[in-house]
Amino acid sequence: MKRKKSSQSRLKKEVLEQSLCTGCGACVGLCPYQVVYRDRTVQLFDCDLSDGKCRAFCPRTPADGRLLRDGLFDAADATDEIGPVKEFWFTRAKDAGLRARAQHGGTVTALLRLAMSEGWIDAAIVSGRLDGREPEGRLIDRGEEPADYAGSRFWAAPTVAAFHRMPENGAGRVGVVATPCQALALAKIRTAKIDGYQKGGTLSLVIGLFCGWTLALDRFQNLLNQYHLPAQNLTGMDIPAGKNILELRTAGGAVNVPMDEVDECVREACRYCIDSTAEFADLSVGAARFGGNPVEMSGWNQVIVRSEKGKNLVSLARDQGILECREAPRRALAELMSAAAEKKKKALARIIEKSRSPEKLLYLNPDDPAVRKYLNEVLQDKAKPLLKKKGDR
Amino acid sequence: MKTKRLSVTKNLVLTGVGGQGNVMASRALAGMLVDAGYVVTIGETFGMSQRGGSVMSHLRISPDAVRSPQIPRGGADVIVALEPLEALRVLTVYGNPEVSLLSNSRSIDPIGVITGERDYPSEETIRIAFARLTARYWLFDATAVGLDLGNPVLSNVVMLGALAGTGLLPIDRRMFAKEIRKTGSPEKCAINLKAFDAGFSMSK
Amino acid sequence: MTRLLAPAGSKVLFLGNEAIARGALEAGVSVATAYPGTPSSEVIESLAPAASKRSLYVEWSVNEKVALEVAAAASFAGLRSMAVMKQNGVNVASDFLLHLTASGTRGGLVLVSCEDPGALSSVNEGESRYFAGMLEMPLLEPADFQEAKDMTKWAFELSEAIGNVVMLRSVTRMSHASGNVVCGTLPAKARKAAFEYGGPIMDSQTGPMISTPVVAKHLLRRQKLKAVCALFEKSPFNRYTGPARPDLLLITASACWLYAAEAVHMLGLQKKVGILKLGTTWPLPPRLVSQYLRKARRILIVEEVMAFLEENVKVLAAGNPKLSEDKTFFGKYDGTLPFAGELNPDIVADALVKIFNIRRCGLSSSYQEEARKTAAMLPPREQTFCAGCPHRASFWSIHNAIALDGRGGFVCGDIGCYSMAALTPANGFGTMPTLHSMGSGTGLASGFARLAPFGFKKPVLTVCGDSTFYHAVIPALINARHNRADITFIVLDNQGTAMTGFQPHPGNEVNALRESVPAVDIAAVCRAIGAKVAVCDPFDLSATGSVLTDFLAEKDSLKVLILRQACALSPEKKGKKTFEMKVDESLCLGDACGCNRLCTRIFRCPALVWDRKKKKAAVDEVVCAGCGVCASICPRKAILKSQAASAAASGG
Repeated sequence: MKRKKSSQSRLKKEVLEQSLCTGCGACVGLCPYQVVYRDRTVQLFDCDLSDGKCRAFCPRTPADGRLLRDGLFDAADATDEIGPVKEFWFTRAKDAGLRARAQHGGTVTALLRLAMSEGWIDAAIVSGRLDGREPEGRLIDRGEEPADYAGSRFWAAPTVAAFHRMPENGAGRVGVVATPCQALALAKIRTAKIDGYQKGGTLSLVIGLFCGWTLALDRFQNLLNQYHLPAQNLTGMDIPAGKNILELRTAGGAVNVPMDEVDECVREACRYCIDSTAEFADLSVGAARFGGNPVEMSGWNQVIVRSEKGKNLVSLARDQGILECREAPRRALAELMSAAAEKKKKALARIIEKSRSPEKLLYLNPDDPAVRKYLNEVLQDKAKPLLKKKGDR
Repeated sequence: MKTKRLSVTKNLVLTGVGGQGNVMASRALAGMLVDAGYVVTIGETFGMSQRGGSVMSHLRISPDAVRSPQIPRGGADVIVALEPLEALRVLTVYGNPEVSLLSNSRSIDPIGVITGERDYPSEETIRIAFARLTARYWLFDATAVGLDLGNPVLSNVVMLGALAGTGLLPIDRRMFAKEIRKTGSPEKCAINLKAFDAGFSMSK
Repeated sequence: MTRLLAPAGSKVLFLGNEAIARGALEAGVSVATAYPGTPSSEVIESLAPAASKRSLYVEWSVNEKVALEVAAAASFAGLRSMAVMKQNGVNVASDFLLHLTASGTRGGLVLVSCEDPGALSSVNEGESRYFAGMLEMPLLEPADFQEAKDMTKWAFELSEAIGNVVMLRSVTRMSHASGNVVCGTLPAKARKAAFEYGGPIMDSQTGPMISTPVVAKHLLRRQKLKAVCALFEKSPFNRYTGPARPDLLLITASACWLYAAEAVHMLGLQKKVGILKLGTTWPLPPRLVSQYLRKARRILIVEEVMAFLEENVKVLAAGNPKLSEDKTFFGKYDGTLPFAGELNPDIVADALVKIFNIRRCGLSSSYQEEARKTAAMLPPREQTFCAGCPHRASFWSIHNAIALDGRGGFVCGDIGCYSMAALTPANGFGTMPTLHSMGSGTGLASGFARLAPFGFKKPVLTVCGDSTFYHAVIPALINARHNRADITFIVLDNQGTAMTGFQPHPGNEVNALRESVPAVDIAAVCRAIGAKVAVCDPFDLSATGSVLTDFLAEKDSLKVLILRQACALSPEKKGKKTFEMKVDESLCLGDACGCNRLCTRIFRCPALVWDRKKKKAAVDEVVCAGCGVCASICPRKAILKSQAASAAASGG
């Protein structure tokens, strides 16, 4: 009898060795074998179990996106570019103090506060600060202040691991603030049908974050060293619209790093990601960037409402006067979609380059129409220069 | 019990797992027999092999001459085992249809069994193998007796008592008492004699 | 009191090593030194308690070379002395030995080498017999326990007679076997020490003790060999038993004589095979050996490991056509006996069966078949670290630190119980790919660390035990520091020479004679060398792990982590549990847990077993040493530890 390959070894071969690991923490905290250490997913000892949750939950193992979407969203809301869209808003927290502490509009923090105070969730998991230690997911209970964790990060925290580490019962319902890869992992967890595993049911709310890429921590650390900036002195960072720089903020002022230097530090796995808007979240939040002039939009978020739950939360926030909502200009959605589509095509082109076959898309399913569409475009784009050359002759 | 003098060399293998007091038992047994006028040779392995591994002492008890410290294969007259798996291991090399075996029934799992890579033979399998490979055997929980007396390692002395009880070798309680007094404190002697007596009654 | 001082005429059961010690006492030895090593350690161990009663100085020296130097000083001062070591210890001592055999000695000086054919407790099958030939010193090999005592005593006399070192070689099956010995008398008077050096340069009894003028002294040493041969021709340690004209002459020495005699007896070949047992194996007494070579046309040489005896017999025979003509030599070169591993009566019997083309009567084939079937189902009992061994915890942390670091770091191994970490799948968790001689781990690490310019980027770690540290590591550590080798050096300090039986070493505050002495602090030595030093309890997995990961991340420095925790078998710990351990069956999920049996499948402590009926982990209370480490590895905290009430009753 041929023994089934262990989930751990498949994870190693399919994800870790392919540089596809996003560091989301979906495979960590379930067992003593998988850990995250200094931004790397490490397999401590060999585990010979097959059908492991580590592989089942990983956002970079093959899965059928159609099934996940069917389980979570309304089919009528589907878009190819940015996933399900029920509503699209420009929003910001009413509380000016909160806005001052947040990166942009403070929408995420405001919504989390509301979900907790209304008893929709009992606890929330957010990305912790980089206080000289490793990035990690932080569990915050009722009574703790989500605003303490507000602000953009440009590195990945193993947030999903914090969910796994929560006790199986007694923790109640949980809300998670997640990057696109984390949201995909959480979607796998929410829809999982695994004997004896019910914890996915406690995941009550996923607030997605728009994400272009994250930094590989060791390379970023080297960059900070070049600028003589100790990590613990960082108070915040941002990519100001249209400037092509990364602004590193410290108590003593900001340091601007040219984007091509930053690009060197981008996590390899992010280059193969087709999701920039957290398509598997209940609602997704980003900085307002499109559809108007930068000054006017500064201090606002754009929000894609995806699920019924997300819709209810945003309406409640508006009704209670916690969130200011503006009708987003039409152009904003169109520009967001076209930028998202560009990212999908770029990622698919890199995936094909890696797998050396348009039929082998690593973790993506070529039969998923949302994938197929951009795959076809990539293949046509590839063919074009060739045709052009022929024509030149 | 009156003991009869040996006229030919008797070969005894004492086996167990490192840490079970194998060396102490073989020295005590040999000491008794030397005092009784026999030429005794013990072959032992210790050092690195003691660390969790199988340990074995070969005793050659001769009325007249020094023998090789290693018994030839198939050449044991008596096997005393502090652990049943080790009893089987020794039997398959040094056993013969005439051999007598005394074995402790308390198992100590080898690492391969602990990790789940190998199976430990069932008690039934062990009994069947003992029956097929020996002329007679005794199997009892000497470790439990040791634990009752306060220390599991006393199982080695329980086994010596049992060996005396079988009458297979010319040893008795008086000889053991004399031997144990050479090295032990009075309390230690008393507890060891208790263990010896408990073993004696188990095989007699 | 100590059996070693039994009165003359008493018959005592002695370990081979005790017989050697008794022989030395009967010779009036004044100074005995050694570095512990299996199978040699019991010589000094048994002498030490007798020292105060015999005006004897005994020491555990820092290594074999120093042991021989300390013994040689006593010899130069006219005392009888002895240095004891295992086979590879002779290699360590050999540089001094080369010069010592050239300068000569005064008081009888015996080098005892206890060797380990088959490497029962060694990582080599080294041979020191060749040193006898190479350095032209007489070699004696006892073949039974009485001889071990008698020959040792005579070795001192021989050494004084020729003014040079005599080597006495034993093997595991002699040193660690026991047999009856009739004791001789112990001398009444002790010698006084005096060192004279004003005499002529060529007079080793009154002149300076030096190896120059080299050629002249060498010639002197060769002359001494003539006297040795003359003595060997008449030695009672060389004996022949068998028919006047045997079909086969079997030449043997050491414990092999017992195997050979048993094999000849087993096969009933007493009338066909004559056995020439040699006790003086280098230089061979030419007349004696020639006399017996003439008696037979077929000769079998029985010895373990290398063909030292066979080669010397053949050299002797080759010098005389009458001795080599029409002769057939059986031994190692023709494949009759193996060049590797130890012998036993069965191997010798099989060789005789082949030579005589006879059959060996044995067990019925049905019994053999039953035995074979039974053997096939027996799980092997692999060597492993003991329950409660600090090394398992140390390597657990080392493994995890290397895995977390992620650059493929590895450990250069060294000699001690922790050598087992190199075995698969013992307990080094696959971290230790090199293992050589004492101190070599640090030397190798120092070398690997300088390969960066050639593209070698892996972090390098090395381990050594506390006793090994003093023995041979310090020069390698200094080398690493001086040459800026970036290594993480871990001292597995279990507070004694654990593998060989807790002999004191320079880190202890007591010596072989149980005198109070200053301890040499490993941390202080390392700091003085310039290393960054940390000390941890290896049972504290999280503290140890965090120091190790920090050390691995820190580049361009020499880092030393001392992991201090006494051996589970040490006298102060043995039989005493710190914690009572048990598995809470309501918390252990068994096979249903995602842990995939981390405790039993990976951690591999002999006391943490798998209950086959309940399908859960369980603690074997008989085997458990109560160290408590397993409580910190269970992800469900199902292994509970509670302070042990009292130490277990002593007994057994």
